[in-house]
Amino acid sequence: MKALTANRLIDGEVVFWSQGRWVEHFGDAELFDAEAPAEAAATGAKAQPNVVIDPYLIDIEQGEAGPAPISYRERLRALGPSNTPQHGKQAEGGAEVAAILAAHGAARSSGRVNLIKRK
Amino acid sequence: MPKLIKLTGPRAAAWANDRFTVVADDQALPAGGVILSLARFQAEGDALLSEGREVGVVLQSDEAVEALAYDLPRLAVVALAFPKFRDGRAFTSARLLRERLGYGGEIRAVGDVLQEQAQFMVRCGFDAFEPADGSTPEAWVRAAFRFRHVYQRSADGRRPAFEERAHGV
Amino acid sequence: MYQYDAIDREFLTDRANEFRHQVARRLSGELTEDQFKPLRLMNGLYLQLHAYMLRVAIPYGTLNPRQLRRLAWIARTYDKGYGHFTTRTNLQFHWIKLKDAPDILDALAEVDLHAIQTSGNCIRNTTADPRAGATAEEIDDPRVWAEAIRQWSTLHPEFSFLPRKFKIAITAAAKDRTAAKLHDIGLMLRRSRDGALGFEVIVGGGMGRTPHVGPTIKEHLPVGRLLSYLEAVLRVYNRHGRRDNIYKARIKILVAALGAEEFGRQVEEEWAKIDAAQVDLPDVELARIRGFFAPPAFDVLPRVSAAFEEAKSKDADFARFARNNVQPHKQAGYAIVDVSLKRPGDTPGDATAEQMEVVADLAERYGFGDIRITHEQNLVLPHIRLDDLPVVHAALQAAGLATANINLVSDIIACPGLDYCALANARAIPIAQSIAERFAEPDRAEAVGELKIKISGCINACGHHHVGHIGILGVDKKGEEFYQLTLGGSGAEDAEVGKMLGPALPAGRVAEAVDQLVEVYLRERQEGERFLDTFRRAGVAPFKEAVYAEAD
Repeated sequence: MKALTANRLIDGEVVFWSQGRWVEHFGDAELFDAEAPAEAAATGAKAQPNVVIDPYLIDIEQGEAGPAPISYRERLRALGPSNTPQHGKQAEGGAEVAAILAAHGAARSSGRVNLIKRK
Repeated sequence: MPKLIKLTGPRAAAWANDRFTVVADDQALPAGGVILSLARFQAEGDALLSEGREVGVVLQSDEAVEALAYDLPRLAVVALAFPKFRDGRAFTSARLLRERLGYGGEIRAVGDVLQEQAQFMVRCGFDAFEPADGSTPEAWVRAAFRFRHVYQRSADGRRPAFEERAHGV
Repeated sequence: MYQYDAIDREFLTDRANEFRHQVARRLSGELTEDQFKPLRLMNGLYLQLHAYMLRVAIPYGTLNPRQLRRLAWIARTYDKGYGHFTTRTNLQFHWIKLKDAPDILDALAEVDLHAIQTSGNCIRNTTADPRAGATAEEIDDPRVWAEAIRQWSTLHPEFSFLPRKFKIAITAAAKDRTAAKLHDIGLMLRRSRDGALGFEVIVGGGMGRTPHVGPTIKEHLPVGRLLSYLEAVLRVYNRHGRRDNIYKARIKILVAALGAEEFGRQVEEEWAKIDAAQVDLPDVELARIRGFFAPPAFDVLPRVSAAFEEAKSKDADFARFARNNVQPHKQAGYAIVDVSLKRPGDTPGDATAEQMEVVADLAERYGFGDIRITHEQNLVLPHIRLDDLPVVHAALQAAGLATANINLVSDIIACPGLDYCALANARAIPIAQSIAERFAEPDRAEAVGELKIKISGCINACGHHHVGHIGILGVDKKGEEFYQLTLGGSGAEDAEVGKMLGPALPAGRVAEAVDQLVEVYLRERQEGERFLDTFRRAGVAPFKEAVYAEAD
């Protein structure tokens, strides 16, 4: 499973793609089961260089508590810094945050690695 | 082809007609002024100059200006290449041309030339620019002379802050 | 302290206006991200994991109370109520919006602050001994020269697009508190035999993926010739530094490739051709700058303070603070006070807006309005009367700023790591917290004595791990956070790059491993030895065995 993420140009906020728009919460992100629509969304995102910066696809795993990014880097982006639980998206709590906190899969974010390689 | 902006006076610049053609090493020479690579200039420069042509040289950022030291009085233009915005070697080249080698002809910035570099270029002695970002002469002048004060002496002869202080602004 | 004049202020206004214009050009799409990125970086604005980060320059780590209060106000208004002091003695805000950045730069400019050259391939904020002007150890005031360099390097027309970033540190004391030998240029003020003041010039030190202790290329540069010599070094670097590979672009690679002797020869050759009179500051300007660093109006006081002695004998916490955070001052009756930003459990280097305001108030009331930042991410009140120490301590204590752990095991340098940084491979802050909490018992920490732990979340080494007595480097091992330990590094006058201890450890093992290393030290140490001394004498073997024995 994949999701499409980026940082928003105007404020740097972590955003996710969902049905034609950018949303701020991972819980609202569109999850792609197939490659083709995920790649299509990523291509579309790259055509918005004045809305978001560096869009890329991340790998998602369905855990017992719900879906979560596989890489800890992406989990931190979806949550906020681990030293300040009161800051970032995690501050709002809820099932989406609980699911990401419960996730423990460990893998590099392939989308991110590809992005760095491209540069 | 990027258009050419030239400084026309203190804090002034305008579009300029470019009477030079940049000629690749394997290209036949057109009539009129030409800008050649260092290698081609070293091979053909003397002959062309003796025809009475105006000749310029484009230096890549890894080519040393000292290679032109003895030819400078005969050169109408030295173009300094910015292969990338971030490659700052041409700033040193321009200063050396002006301050050390005493070159008084045109120093032209070519390549990845953006108005954000304008102030540095002008300070280092560039007086002609082929902006890659579509800058107008007005935008170029605004960017180049935005700062009312500078902190060091350079090829532009501006008074640095310490001199303004010593002599009163 | 240096005071901006109309020239400096108009310059900052022009700079803030320029950046506002650039942000507008980016938001309108006139500039692409690739074009804008180097411009925002030159104004200290990075895009990090969760938001933009703005790095504010604190020239040679010196602030006045009005400036620190303004930083507190920015933290509250545009960030989440705190800031993070860095190993470059700057302050970064981690939750900044691009659209707010121009307003923030305006607010900074109003108090003579800015973010110029806190990033990008240019000459970065020059650092100096945080005890400058207060310690009796120094032979000159390094701030004079740091200020000269600040001005000379500001928007330098020739050196704003170097192959890579460029950092300079200056110290005038034998005890180096600036990590001068790990800088692109380290300047150590020395007196020659005939008493003339000069710089020992060290070039090509650095950390990152290829750590080098820098070699000395000039033993004695007459102080008045500083800027022309720097211009020669920078010019050789700008022309010949590598630009084909970002990891080989720092000056240390050029110096190592040419050899220090050949590099020094090229610099001398270039220096001889420079019209030095055009570059070196005239004496009148040097005198003007020096005037700003004249000692404040110290009171004539006895060497011993009854109030100080009494507080030490009555209050154990204060006595501990006096032992660890109070340093001798050149002026009788005064002390240098280290303000720790390393309370166990907190994020190293972070200060809340309220804490900044407390320090600003104390500096104003008791400290001649002088505040310093150390490269070890702490603050310093350089001129406090011994008589005032009890009340200053009480105020710091109430603000959570009186942790008596300077140079002790819990005084840890840590970069922001993967909690914030887009470049990091692993987190650094939680590791620092776990170690500090393990050594939170102050008697034990004091018994262990000086022990510098430095943690970086990636090989760029912002956390200076290479020069930690114990260095910790976060790595990504098949998608998990692991930590590589090094031992025996030092960023001080006895600079050395640490040696690898063994295979990287999982996060949960790091604090325990540090504890095991400390136990070996306590067992092996001889009279008067610090952890570093014992390691240098005994070698890596006993330490390695303690940490990896179980695994074998």
